[in-house]
Amino acid sequence: MVLSEKDKINELCQILLEVGALLMETGANTFRIRVTVTRIASTFGYRTELLITHHALMLTLYNEESDQFFSRLKQTSSHRVNFKIVSGLSRMSWHIAEENWSFEMVRKEIDRLKAVSHYPRIVTLLMVALAGASFCRLFGGEAIEMIVAFVATFVGLFVRQEAVKRDFNPYLCIFSAAFVSSIISGATVYLHIGNNPEYAFATSVLYLIPGIPLINSLLDLLDGNIINGVVRGINGLTIALSIALGLLGAILIYNI
Amino acid sequence: MEWIHLFETWIWLGFAATGFAVLFNVPPRTLWVIFIMGALGGTLKLICLKLGINIILSSFMGALLIGFLSVAAAHLRHSPPFIFAIPAVIPMVPGAFTYRMMLGIIRLTGENDHTLFLQLLQETVDNGLKAFFVLTALSLGVSGPMLLSRNKSTKEIRPSKFLTKLFGSKKASD
Repeated sequence: MVLSEKDKINELCQILLEVGALLMETGANTFRIRVTVTRIASTFGYRTELLITHHALMLTLYNEESDQFFSRLKQTSSHRVNFKIVSGLSRMSWHIAEENWSFEMVRKEIDRLKAVSHYPRIVTLLMVALAGASFCRLFGGEAIEMIVAFVATFVGLFVRQEAVKRDFNPYLCIFSAAFVSSIISGATVYLHIGNNPEYAFATSVLYLIPGIPLINSLLDLLDGNIINGVVRGINGLTIALSIALGLLGAILIYNI
Repeated sequence: MEWIHLFETWIWLGFAATGFAVLFNVPPRTLWVIFIMGALGGTLKLICLKLGINIILSSFMGALLIGFLSVAAAHLRHSPPFIFAIPAVIPMVPGAFTYRMMLGIIRLTGENDHTLFLQLLQETVDNGLKAFFVLTALSLGVSGPMLLSRNKSTKEIRPSKFLTKLFGSKKASD
């Protein structure tokens, strides 16, 4: 099937916005989104003008030969970090450039990446809990504190996953996770179990730290995308506030 | 004894980085690279801290090491560099400072005593500033190679040409 120029530019615009929105949702910085989208568009012989914000992307495609314009706006849906998709889309943009992919192949690849598997839930829970225990060890905790941090992280992350599944407000999810984790680890401080139970208390919520929003925020600021940087930074600070509120709840309950 | 302790720290740092990598759902083929990078960067930071360098500069050193390693890793495992760099750098993110600052702000609202208020304010500002500057140092370090090479994409960075590009003009390198 030979597409007319108008259909072609329409189809490409949809694909590019899909790629851009996916990258934004899964935790790529603004620079990465711009580079990937521009690279794909230039392979097909189009120039792009791109406006990237946290909640929507706006794209104008321009073909100099046929003097055709096409603009479209796409909203991003909920933000969930998934580096497998970011990595896959970046690889795809290189494959497109090197192997002359057709639009259908690009669509198929995007659908494949969207369906790409997560780690089994139990593996995620165990690995993140292990990371929590590692943090505790790095702070100077011993075996008992490490076990407390492990359990607190495990249960807290489980609560967060369940809350996210039920589509609660993202900050509320983080608040409940932080609250549950600190209730568990705070109990050992309250009952004086182990030598330094406060290490476990301090490290049991570290798995929630908004690392990606904060780092992306600074990367965007350095790159000159001030508005995106500020938006991401405020998002990161709000997450930190939710964690602090969760901790505060446990502190008030146990009166530590 | 010192070395055994360092090696143990190394392993825990690696696990901390890998845990976050799994949380962010990185491709499985990159996991062991992230383990090593997180461990090396964290160790460099701890060594710097032990040498008496302040936390901001130490974090910058660690992040810079991770930044350069991530370029090498990107060539090796064919993924964008920040897939490696961000999980590896996460154990260094000043989470403790950030939430202590937030906790401080919350407590400030309920504090009436003047001396206690000033003391709390001092701690809160201290924690907040440290968190901000450590974070800046981390992002600067991670994006260091990209900033220096002035390239659009890591795929174009060749280590052998890196120095010529660094000192040559932009036009000549294109």
